[in-house]
Amino acid sequence: MQVPVAAYLPEALALAAALLTFLMDAAGVRQRVVVGSFSVVLYVLALISVLGDLSVAPFSIFATVPKGLIDTGAVGPIQFSSFGLLWQAIFLSASLLVAFASLSEGEGEREVPIFYGLLALATLGTLLVGLSADLIFLLLSVEVTGISTYVLVAYARKDARALEASMKFYLIGALSTAISFFGASLIYGAYGSTALSHLRDLPPSATVGGTQMALVGLGLLTVGLGFKVTAVPFHMWAVDVYDGAPDHVSAYLAAGSKKMGLLAVLVVFAASVSIFREGSAWALYVAFSGLAVVTMTVGNVLALQQRTMKRMLAYSSISQAGYMLIGLAVATPASLAGTTIQAVAHVLMKGGAFLFVAAMASIGVGNRIDDYRGLGHTHPATTASFAILLLSLAGIPLTLGFVGKFYIFASAVQAQGLFIFLAIAGLLNSAVSVFYYARVLRIMYMVEPQTSSQGRWTPAVAHLADPGAGSTPPSAGSSKGANLGRFRAEIQALGLARWSAIVACAALTIILGIYPTPLIDLANNAAAHFLATGP
Amino acid sequence: MDVPWLSLLLAVSLVGAFATFFTGRYARWAALAVSLATLGIVLGIMALFQPSLQLNGNACQQGGFQLCELHTWFTFASPSGGFSVDYLVGVDGISLPMILLSAVITLAAVVYHWDEEKDPHGFFGLVLLTNAGCLGVFVSLDVLLFFVFWEIVLIPMFFLIGHWGGPRRSYAALKFFVYTHVASVVMFVALLAMVFLGGWNSFDFVDTFGRQSTNMANLSAPVQALLFGSLLFGFGVKLPMVPFHTWLPDAHVEAPTGGSVLLAGILLKLGGYGLIRLASPLLPLGRTLLFPVMLFLALLSIVWGAYLSLSQRDLKRLVAYSSINHMGIVLLAIALWTQLGVMAAVLLMFAHGLVSGLLFMVSGSVHHTYGTRDIPSVGGMTARTPVLATMLMIGSLASLGLPALVSFPAEFSALLATWSDPRVHYLVLLPLMALVVTAGFYIWMMQRLSFGPPRGIPDKAHDLPFPEVMGMSLLVGLIVLYGILPLLIEQVIPVAAIFGIPCGAGTVPGATVWGACPSLPFGP
Repeated sequence: MQVPVAAYLPEALALAAALLTFLMDAAGVRQRVVVGSFSVVLYVLALISVLGDLSVAPFSIFATVPKGLIDTGAVGPIQFSSFGLLWQAIFLSASLLVAFASLSEGEGEREVPIFYGLLALATLGTLLVGLSADLIFLLLSVEVTGISTYVLVAYARKDARALEASMKFYLIGALSTAISFFGASLIYGAYGSTALSHLRDLPPSATVGGTQMALVGLGLLTVGLGFKVTAVPFHMWAVDVYDGAPDHVSAYLAAGSKKMGLLAVLVVFAASVSIFREGSAWALYVAFSGLAVVTMTVGNVLALQQRTMKRMLAYSSISQAGYMLIGLAVATPASLAGTTIQAVAHVLMKGGAFLFVAAMASIGVGNRIDDYRGLGHTHPATTASFAILLLSLAGIPLTLGFVGKFYIFASAVQAQGLFIFLAIAGLLNSAVSVFYYARVLRIMYMVEPQTSSQGRWTPAVAHLADPGAGSTPPSAGSSKGANLGRFRAEIQALGLARWSAIVACAALTIILGIYPTPLIDLANNAAAHFLATGP
Repeated sequence: MDVPWLSLLLAVSLVGAFATFFTGRYARWAALAVSLATLGIVLGIMALFQPSLQLNGNACQQGGFQLCELHTWFTFASPSGGFSVDYLVGVDGISLPMILLSAVITLAAVVYHWDEEKDPHGFFGLVLLTNAGCLGVFVSLDVLLFFVFWEIVLIPMFFLIGHWGGPRRSYAALKFFVYTHVASVVMFVALLAMVFLGGWNSFDFVDTFGRQSTNMANLSAPVQALLFGSLLFGFGVKLPMVPFHTWLPDAHVEAPTGGSVLLAGILLKLGGYGLIRLASPLLPLGRTLLFPVMLFLALLSIVWGAYLSLSQRDLKRLVAYSSINHMGIVLLAIALWTQLGVMAAVLLMFAHGLVSGLLFMVSGSVHHTYGTRDIPSVGGMTARTPVLATMLMIGSLASLGLPALVSFPAEFSALLATWSDPRVHYLVLLPLMALVVTAGFYIWMMQRLSFGPPRGIPDKAHDLPFPEVMGMSLLVGLIVLYGILPLLIEQVIPVAAIFGIPCGAGTVPGATVWGACPSLPFGP
């Protein structure tokens, strides 16, 4: 069946966002409002189109991919699967979130168009990963996002730490790409093809090159993509890069580009895991279970010891990757649906959390966790949102983070056998993680704010602590008028876009946590098709 | 058309809690309205409750529950079709006393804190939210729904302790949160394993009761013992059961009075309720295998709790440790798993909720009247603050099990159940001796605090303000009412959706329910 050009509308929109933004730069249009809003609008349109393809109720009239093309196998190097489309929606939401919240950043000289242009290019790469049905196409798409994000980290050219982070990111990225492509070449040698359907249908022992060659190739691919997913022991770069990058770029790295790595791993391995499990090549499947356990444990244990907010969030992000890898190791419809739900949750939680850090940094709150003391009293709405996101990360019920974790762990228990230990390891880890999330809650709500003599509080914050009413201390300012004044001051200080992005993340986390049915239905359907027809 | 009473109850308490956060200086009126409405609905539910088992209608009602409501929440993907996670609620004779307790304790806490000055909207909102979570636990009949409400309870309590508590409040809040969360995670693994290994076809546990023998026969005794042990740990931490009790004194001492009242009055009951509702009936082989462990831990809690209480100087700490002692008796009664034992456990949980609530209010009032809770440094309270001293006396006497007060029938039933069980029999001497110790430390405490010449009393010390008297009186009234007429609760408990439970010394009223067994001391 011929693929109509319109089917590529989301990708075309992302490409247009990139190219036109760079053209705007050349034409001298550099106002954040103009450049940023342009990107935001295009992302919204792309998202609507993808949701239409997924037949989500109000948007289904915007579908551009013919129904007959979805979930019916590959067309050359690409394929339209409901699983890939759902993940495209996740990627677009991440980009949309970051692009929208960045509207509240300050103006720069040329930084603004560069940031939005690179973000759009990275988005394009993630969207292409969602379409891939061929190993080379997949790795090239990953590279499009990779190269864009290396530069994105360094786009604030005068920040030495960002430059260092970018350099580190680039070197590790180049290494991982080399390893991936070397693995891909071995796979090509073994299978005689780079089509992913071969990996899915052919046990390694039945390949041209034999079990060993195929396994070495797949192993190298695991390592190469493992860097992208920040699976331990390939995680070393992540914390330094998240820490050094500008805050809203960190938000994108955690929310967007990491999910892309995860989808790449899923696309390559999830469908083929069943073959490994039955065949002689069980080593790879054990490797995934081990990778999942080690990743979440190391991520959690290191997160426990962090003193700065961004590093803590970075390590917790590593541990979240571990939970999602459980879904890969179990590889049942339920577990892949769980990983997908958790990925949606992760976009909201990590995206929102890093944006909150960005917002706090913009008003002069320090980077240490202790610097967040008393924010609950001065910035009620955003701090409450951040608290909800942390509770969701910890997996407390009525949040989407709980639904995702429940789904993943329940699927592991359902698969029985040794998988139950994966669930136990995961649950114990999430119990440990509560400690460092609750500690942040404690600092924000139960420790009094620092006084200005410490020099960490800018006048903007001091003004917030004492809204309108003059002599009313914040703890006594409980009447309605004072509360409203406090919210208004908060929005003013943080910027409306950023404020609403953070609050929206928390609200969606709760809404989807209470009523997850639409998301779960989508994920169940996509995962079932994914395992049935595969990439 | 049927009114969805339980959903109404949950909706009023949850929405009311969230609304209270935004009521500014009218928070206390809002909180009063919400807690009165909640209590009103609970009383309505009690009136509608059929005092005998009605086994007809849908699966939930055939399982022995009443006022059932079922809606699918979401579907869990499964190779063999859907696997539904439901919003399934219902009440039976075990949950009804618990929701009544929850509503009453909350109302009393709200009234007691009428003059709360520090962020009252937050305080009352969190108190109501805790109540909503507990009510949810008590009416949930789906494993996941149960766990969701179970976890919700933690959050408001964490903030109540951490923001309104004493000097070491943030340490205590963190300890409480982490400790109890670890326990619930272990519990959650066991619950999931029960669902999947037992081959259930949904997460509901009601229709499993009817087919319990077929479903749970899949599980061998060692597996059941493992699951039961995990659940015992999960519920035992909440109970609290020695040696997992160390979070309790810190949490209680640092919590604000209302927080302590909720903690002792309702939260501890969640543990006992979980053991009765989930662990014991669903894993019979595991229960039998682990009976010695449960018995040992129960006796240990009883003796150790009493012993620790004896050595406390801090009034609030003393009451906290005596809770460990009382909940140990609850655990003992549950471990026996006879009809009399379960009834005694539920009754004792109900009684302990009222009495410990009163005692925590008293220690809160002592603290802000005298500026200290240190027992040796205050004396002669009767002279300066007669009302407070009276409340202290009623609470202490109720707690040590004086007849005509609510704890007496409960503790007596528990001891009778222990005595009449041939497996334990003479071991009843241990809790009996612990009861003597309990009486000892309460009377000694009263003697030091209330009587003798006035000592360490600040000049400006005045007797209880009106709201505190009202809050306490509510509990005192119920302590006396149910002490004289324990039948009011006892006739409800046997309408329990638990089948195949042995007689023990005798069954309780409503013999159609639990089979014809010899009658009971306080039965009709």
